[in-house]
Order: sequence, then C-alpha cells, then structure tokens
Amino acid sequence: MQKIDLKSSSCIGVMALMMAVSGCSDGGSPAGGGDLPDSTTPRIEATSTKQNAARFLTQATFGPTDASVQQVQALGYRGWIDQQLVTQSASHLTYVDNQLAQMKLTNPNAQLGAPHFHNSFWFNAATSQAQLRERMKFALSQIFVVSINDVRFDIRSASSYYDMLGKNAFGNYRTLLEDVALHPIMGVYLTHMSNQKEDPVTGRTPDENFAREILQLMSIGVVELNIDGTPKLNNGVPIPTYTTSDVSNLAKVFTGFAWYSANPTNDTFLGENRDPQAQVRPMIAYNSFHSTSAKTFLGKTLPAGSSDARAELKAALDIIYNHPNVGPFMAHRLIQRFVTSNPSPAYVGRVAAVFNNNGRGVRGDLGAVMRAILLDPEATKVGTAPGSGKLREPIVRLANWMRAFNATSRSGYYLVGSTRYFGSLGQAPLTAPSVFNFYRPGYVPPNTRTSRAGLTGPEFQTVNEVSIAGYANTIGGAIWDGIGADSEVRPNYAREIAIAHDAAALADRMNAILMYGQMPPSLRRRIIEGVSAVPIPAGAEEAAYARLNRVRMAVNLTMLSPDYLVQR
Amino acid sequence: MTGPIHRRRLLTIGGGLTFLGSAAPFAAQLAAAGSAAGQTASDYRALVCIYLNGGNDSNNTVLATDTDSYDRYFATRNTGTDPIALLPPGTPPLAIGAMSPITRRVARAGSPEHLGGILPIVPRTPQPIPAGTNATVRTFGLHPLLRPLKTLFDAGRLGVVANVGTLIKPITKAQYQAGTVPFPANLFSHNDQTSTWQAGASEGATVGWGGRLGDMITGMNGTNTVFTAMSVAGNAVYLSGNNVIQFQVSPGSEPALKINGSVGLPAGSDISQARLRDIAQDQTSSSLFAADYGTVVNRSMAASTSLNTLFGSAAAKAIASPPPLVNPVTGETGPNALSDQLYTVARMIAVASSLGLKRQVFFVQIGGWDFHDTQGPDQAVLLATLAGAMSYFDSAMGNVGGLNMRRNVTAFTASDFSRTFTTNSDGTDHAWGGHHFVMGGAVRGGDIFGQYPTLGTDRGTFRNPDMAGRALVPTTAVEQYAATMGRWLGVSESGLDTIFPNLKNFPRRDLGFMS
Repeated sequence: MQKIDLKSSSCIGVMALMMAVSGCSDGGSPAGGGDLPDSTTPRIEATSTKQNAARFLTQATFGPTDASVQQVQALGYRGWIDQQLVTQSASHLTYVDNQLAQMKLTNPNAQLGAPHFHNSFWFNAATSQAQLRERMKFALSQIFVVSINDVRFDIRSASSYYDMLGKNAFGNYRTLLEDVALHPIMGVYLTHMSNQKEDPVTGRTPDENFAREILQLMSIGVVELNIDGTPKLNNGVPIPTYTTSDVSNLAKVFTGFAWYSANPTNDTFLGENRDPQAQVRPMIAYNSFHSTSAKTFLGKTLPAGSSDARAELKAALDIIYNHPNVGPFMAHRLIQRFVTSNPSPAYVGRVAAVFNNNGRGVRGDLGAVMRAILLDPEATKVGTAPGSGKLREPIVRLANWMRAFNATSRSGYYLVGSTRYFGSLGQAPLTAPSVFNFYRPGYVPPNTRTSRAGLTGPEFQTVNEVSIAGYANTIGGAIWDGIGADSEVRPNYAREIAIAHDAAALADRMNAILMYGQMPPSLRRRIIEGVSAVPIPAGAEEAAYARLNRVRMAVNLTMLSPDYLVQR
Repeated sequence: MTGPIHRRRLLTIGGGLTFLGSAAPFAAQLAAAGSAAGQTASDYRALVCIYLNGGNDSNNTVLATDTDSYDRYFATRNTGTDPIALLPPGTPPLAIGAMSPITRRVARAGSPEHLGGILPIVPRTPQPIPAGTNATVRTFGLHPLLRPLKTLFDAGRLGVVANVGTLIKPITKAQYQAGTVPFPANLFSHNDQTSTWQAGASEGATVGWGGRLGDMITGMNGTNTVFTAMSVAGNAVYLSGNNVIQFQVSPGSEPALKINGSVGLPAGSDISQARLRDIAQDQTSSSLFAADYGTVVNRSMAASTSLNTLFGSAAAKAIASPPPLVNPVTGETGPNALSDQLYTVARMIAVASSLGLKRQVFFVQIGGWDFHDTQGPDQAVLLATLAGAMSYFDSAMGNVGGLNMRRNVTAFTASDFSRTFTTNSDGTDHAWGGHHFVMGGAVRGGDIFGQYPTLGTDRGTFRNPDMAGRALVPTTAVEQYAATMGRWLGVSESGLDTIFPNLKNFPRRDLGFMS
C-alpha cells in the first residue's frame, strides 16, 4: 500500500494514495485507451483517469458504462455535469400510457399497476442519457416521499409525480416545493387533498399531516441547524424548529386544495365528478374551504381574512423556503444519496452555502447544489477513512449491473416489475413503507463497527439476515439468467467473454467497470481462484458455455463482495 | 446473453453443493426437534411486541361509554364529512345504504353505522372516577370489530393498560403547558416517538428496551444466544441491545431466506462455490460498512439452513397456520399480514426448547395506523387484522405440541402515539397518551390498569384535566408498562433500573397486570 508504482497492472492497492495527485493508467482493462485530454477544466481533469471517471459516475449515475466513462474523460466532471443539467429524461407518464394502450389491444379492461411504473423506472435507469437527472429523481423521491404500496394510489399520478421531480431536479427548490405541495398524489398520500378549514362550532380542525411532514421531512427538520448541518445548541440542548402550534397553524394554510376541475364545485372538491386529468394536474384552490383565520408559524404571521388560498400557500412556502435550515437540511440529505453517509460538517457547509447563494444571488438552485456536491474535494477524493462512502442502495446495484453489462430488454419495455419484496431487493422506487423513506438519514446500525465509530449508515436500516439473501439471490439470478418477466432483461457479456480465458484479466475488468479500480488484492485473488476453477473444455460449444460461466462467476463474485457493496 | 435458462440450477438443501455449507452451531440438536417441545416449557418465557406503526387512535379502540364520557365523545367526533364517532353499545350494524336512526346518515362501508355499536367490556376492578368526569360508575367498551379481543378480555387473558405514553417524570396538564416538568423531545413526530417508545430517546437511539431485556436474559440461552431477540418485521431499534443483536426472519414458510448457489457448473468447481462463500461473508474490509455487511451475511449463512430445517420439524408443523382475514369493509378474504408474522413467532416458540432457549423477545409490526384520512374504514380493517392475529396467536399458544404455553408467552401492543380527540373531518392527527393491550396466560386479564382519563376537549366551561389541547397527557409511562413485563421475564429490579432510567421517577414500579 505504501509504494506507488505507475506500472502496476491494475493500480490495485495504490489507488487510494494516488487518486488525488496523479493519473493511474487503467492497464487492467483490455480496451486500454489513454486518458483523453481536456482543456476546459484543467483542475479537475488532472485527476480524471478512467478509474476516477468510473468512480465519479458511480456517484452521479445509475452506474458507469464504457461509453459514459469515455464521455466523462472527454468532457471533464464539470463539463459532463453542465451537459447533464440540460439533458431531459423520458416521461414516465408517457411510458405507462403507452404500456396501457399496448395492453388494451388484447385486453380492453387492462389497468395499470405499480409494476408498470417500476418498468418505466428501469427503462430510464438503464437507458436514459440523462443519468444525473435520473439519480436526482430517485434521490428526491426519497426526500419528498410518496408511496404506491397501496393499490389506492393511481399509477398515472405516481408517474407524473416522478416526471415532476425530474422537471425540477436542477431547477429551483422553491418551485419544486410548490409542485410537490400541489401534486394530487401528495395530496392523497399526506392527506391535504380536500382538507377543510376549521369549524369553531364543532371543534373540527384541519388535517395536520402535510403541514407537519413538509417541515420535518422536506425542508427544515425538527431542530435548528448551523449552516454546516450541526444542531444549534442552547445550554447543550438542540432547539426545536417548531411546536405543535406552528403545525396546526400551517395546517390551516393547506386547506381548500383539491382535485383539478375546469368547473370546480363542492362536489369536485370532495372528489366527485372527477376530471379525467385530475390525477396528473396540480390541485386547485377552492377558496370557500380555505381557512381565513390568521396563521402564525416559524415566527411569521399570515394575517386573517385571506380569501385567496393559492396566494396564501405561496406566501407560506416562501416562509419555509427562506428558513435558514433548508440549505444544510437539503445539502446533508442529497450528499447522503450521492456521495457519503457521513459528510463532514465543512462539506455540508460548502454545499449549503451554494444552496443559499449560487454565486449569482439565487437561493435554492438545485443544479448548482448538485455541482457543488459532486465537485467537492470530499466527493472527488477516494475515501480512505474506515467510515468513508456509503452502502450502495439495492436498486442502484441492480441498475449498475444493467448498465455495466449493457443489459437490453427483449420487449424494449424493461419489464422488471417490482423489486420491493423481501425475497427481492427489498426496495423499489416509490414504495417506501412510510413518508420516512426506506431509511432515515440518522440511522445508526446497532452493535456494529459503524455504530462504535459513531457513524450513521442509513442504508443499513434495510440490511438484515433476510434482505442480504434477497439481494444475493436477485442479483445472482440476474447475472446468470437475466431479470424480469421471462428474464427478458439480459446482459451482453461479449466484451468479458472475449477475455474469459484469462481469469486475471476478467478480475481486472470487474475492477474497472464495477469497482472503479478499488478492488482489494484479496478480493481480486479470490475472484481469480473462483473463475479459474471453471475449466474451459476442448469442444467449441462447451468452451463457449464455460467462458460464459466464467464471466457470470466473475460478476457474481464481485457483486456479492462487501467491498463492491460500499461506494467509497 | 446466450446461455439457455434451463441450464441454471438453483441448489437447495440436500442438493449436493449448497452455497451455505453445513457448519451450523446447533446441527447436533436437530434430532431433538419435534419430540422435546415443551419438556422444559415451564422454564421458557417470551415477550412479543406487536407494533402498530403510524400511531393508533386508541380513542376509538378502548372507549368509555358512561353517559357523561360518551356524550362528550360523540359530540366531538360525530362531525365532519365522514364522522368517526362509534355508536353506543347495542346498536345493530346496518347494511350499506340503510339509514341510521341515531346519526340520520346512511351506512357506508366501514362507517360507524355499518360497524354497529361499541362492544361492552366490564373490568373486574371498577375504574376510579377521574376529576372532570361526572359519573358514579364508569363503563367501557371496545371498537365493534374487536370482538375476538372482547372474548379474550372476558376470558381473563387480555388486559387493557390505559393512557400509556412517553414520559420522563409524572406530569400534569398544567405542568406540561407551563413547561415546568421535562417531557420527551419531539412529541407528535412519528419517527422520534417510535424511537422513544422503543428506545427511550429520539431517532438516532441505538439501544431499545427489548434488546436490553435480551441482554439481561440471553445468558439463559446456552449456545444459541443468536436467537434471543428475533424480528419478523425488519430492523427495529426496540430489539437492539448492548450485546444482543436482533436476528431477522421472514413470515414465509421457511423463516430464513437462504442464499442460493446460482451455478450449475461442471464437476470440479467446488472452489468457485467456496470463493462465493468466502467473498460474501468477508469481514476483513478496511471499510466499516463493508465489514458490517459481511457480518450480517455471515450470521445469516450460519443459521439459515438449520433454522429452516427446524421449521420443517414436527413441533413447528404442529402449529396451525393462521386463518385468513375477511376484510370487514370490502368483504374480501385474504392473508392477515400480522397473523403471518405471528405464525413464524409461534413456530419459533415451538422449537425453542430443542434449541435450548429459555428466554426470547420478539418483534412483529403492522403499518397503516396513521389515520389522517378515511379513518372509519381504515381503522376498522386494521383493528380486525389486529384482533384476528392476537386471537390466532392466543389459540396457537394454547396448543404447542399438546402443551398450553399461554402462561409462557406475553404479547403486548405499542404504537407511536395515540391521536387527537378531535376529528379533522374524516380522520385524526398526532397526539400522545393511548391505551394498549396485554395478552397471555400470565396476564391478569379482564381488567383495565392505570387510570382511564376524562374525555373531552376544553369547551365552554368544561375543562379536562387529562387533555392538553386535543392530546391525552399520559398518566402511565412506557417505562412502567415495559418494566412490569421485564420483571415477569425475569429481569432484576436493579436490571430494570438500568434499562429504564426514568422508572425511579414514578411511584409505581409495577402496574400489576402480570401475575
């Protein structure tokens, strides 16, 4: 580990020391290919080896491909991000509408279900050129959580919600917040749909669900934060950001919103005579159901007498948006989704500062935030500390496999279906068990090395004796046979088969495409042993099959290894 | 990809090459499984936490039906677009579409009119009349769909513990409102109150009282301490001790999900399989996360084959599978997700003695209790689920290989918080203290423990000393509730004080519901 040897065949073991300072040629890859020069961003480009590019793509996308690695090397990190910020992703709503139309050709009564949305997710994750946007949608869907676990949730609505997250992915947080607040699926999920003003006669009060969770989970959290995300303390005790009174006052703001209708009536407020597009159009204001009393929250008061629900909602969202917690709150959560479970306060502070001001005086510029997250030295340097990085999310691992091995769908639809069950990945997009997501940002896995080091590991909230087997079996199945309906999403191992006779080359290929050059020597040795144990017989057909099996074995060995499972 | 699918063979138990390998610490004990169940049953005790995720509305679960209490309840909840006030005892359920003479509304699926009247229960010990309640005798009832629990209450195997909540010290409404007595942080927040119920502190706590009880008793479990704390419902801080680690099993027919070898390789490839095993459970990484992950894989691989074999034993198979749930709103029949989890618990209990286990803590969970909306039908379905599952578990414990193990097993409910006494039109919001169920042969059932509070929000001249705003101020602490069961499990008084640091702040260390 101490000696830096530029001639090392795969740079294994020395990468950690070298990444920040020097190039390391990717000699292990049969494609070879030197680093492409780039004049636009010399500071970054100095470190942009093939392996660094692969590592960067591991953070920023659903997984590196040979093509995307070249792209990053050509454009540089910054150039690649700039390009991604303006690349649009395919619509999930269009996808499910197409699927429905297709199904109706044979079954006029066909209906959409959650798996159709999931298919659209996998289609985009595997094939989209807008990879950063795809990852951002997935990240945002874990902060602004809605869930389609219950069959009551409309799949077109969910698909349009996911599209909305994509539309706002690199726009302004304030716009995102309003689009979230008014999306009908959020209205149904957090129950401010058709929420009515208080009734002093009966004592009836507005529904507080969305008011509470928009504060706790989508903007400011429960305690006041310094800009670096650490809690402000008063006599050693964190300071609550809001009280029950703030919540019940804010709940009055979210009254009088319900289903879109061209001709709104009391009936359409309650969901009768629903417009065909009401599931995918923003909720509209029904002012007669909106509370007109004064609302005091977060130290501000919206005066009594409001007759314009929409204007008051905007004013309330402005108050939330301008709370000093939002920058560090969002910075911390987004860093955890892309880079590391335990960002340093300084890292959070740097990103939060960009949230507060993108350099042109604009607050809430999510594109600028994303750039700050990915270009921060804490992100671009390989984490060598024992607690660096993060556990890769199960969904990201499967997508990573699809992209690394150019998996294609026979139907063209990527019919992977749901992966949320415990025997599968235990996770599928938009299927969190509650608005608190699959895992909490502060989760500490008990009785672990991580907990003893005082670190958080959010993704460990779903790691247990059952789920690890669910992942192993699911990814094993994909690696060997493909995945989805009739295993219709299948890999193309041509590039690996070509080197399958050489176990070491195969291990190095795994290192390059799945582990960005960070494979520990002991793992590499075991992979070589495991692959070498599959002999290549003489007959042509048998030999071809054996080569395929050697590739499968190499991929399987790599993707079960704990060192692969952690992105550092 | 070119390989034909049929060439892939999933290797399973007995198939020769297994991914797992054979080394399991208790394999030698398997022979005993099926015959020895219950031989040492008198020494065995288990505590089962049934977590109602989301915050059950206990105002509609255990009700006071004396006129004074019920009138205030009805006035408060019989309002909004979909009122949630349950109807008086004796009210017959109406067919959907029929008009109720009481509410003048048409019965809809899951509406109070459709569900029928509250089911009366008569506690063996008369409840004291709290300040603010104007009654000479207080009467009580259960939600109309809790009939199986009424049966258990009447049979003396189910008790109610009233107005339990997260507390640091005894606190009155006035003290809470004035902030003169400390109370837990982040009241009304799901994740924080879940954590406080389970682990005594807001989110981020890593040690729960189920796991701490496990720490104190795991020494009784011989060589199989790995099964001291078992969850069928995912990772819960409740089951994490200082030393005890929760072991996760599934509600499937085989509780351990086994990693399959995924290779149909020619002879001579044992090394490939060995390397898969080595790699998957490698714990030597310089990354803490990677090493921790490898540890979980290692634990799972070491136990899964043997555990599944045990569940195939006669003792486990003798446990009846749970009946389906008839959805009371839709009429459809389907699986009861909570019963399915308790089925795994029951089978584990049936094989516990063959593993030499003397003490266990279990965790099961069902979500969906966050009734901000459509509470009427939603709570009806979930309470029917809960009652069906608890009743099933009671009968399963009544016949474990021919033995009645009800006295050996205690199950109890827990939830984030209860809900506002007021309605938001068709649902309720987050509140604080709530009522809970304790079930088992060792429970002094048929009674209500703790003080059932005065009902009603402050209106006109009425002032409720038990309700701050719309939330009950708890009169029994979670730690008192928990310690009463911990004592039954066999933990010492000093042990209880260690696990429950606030217990000493409360006058009653034992609520008296365990015999």
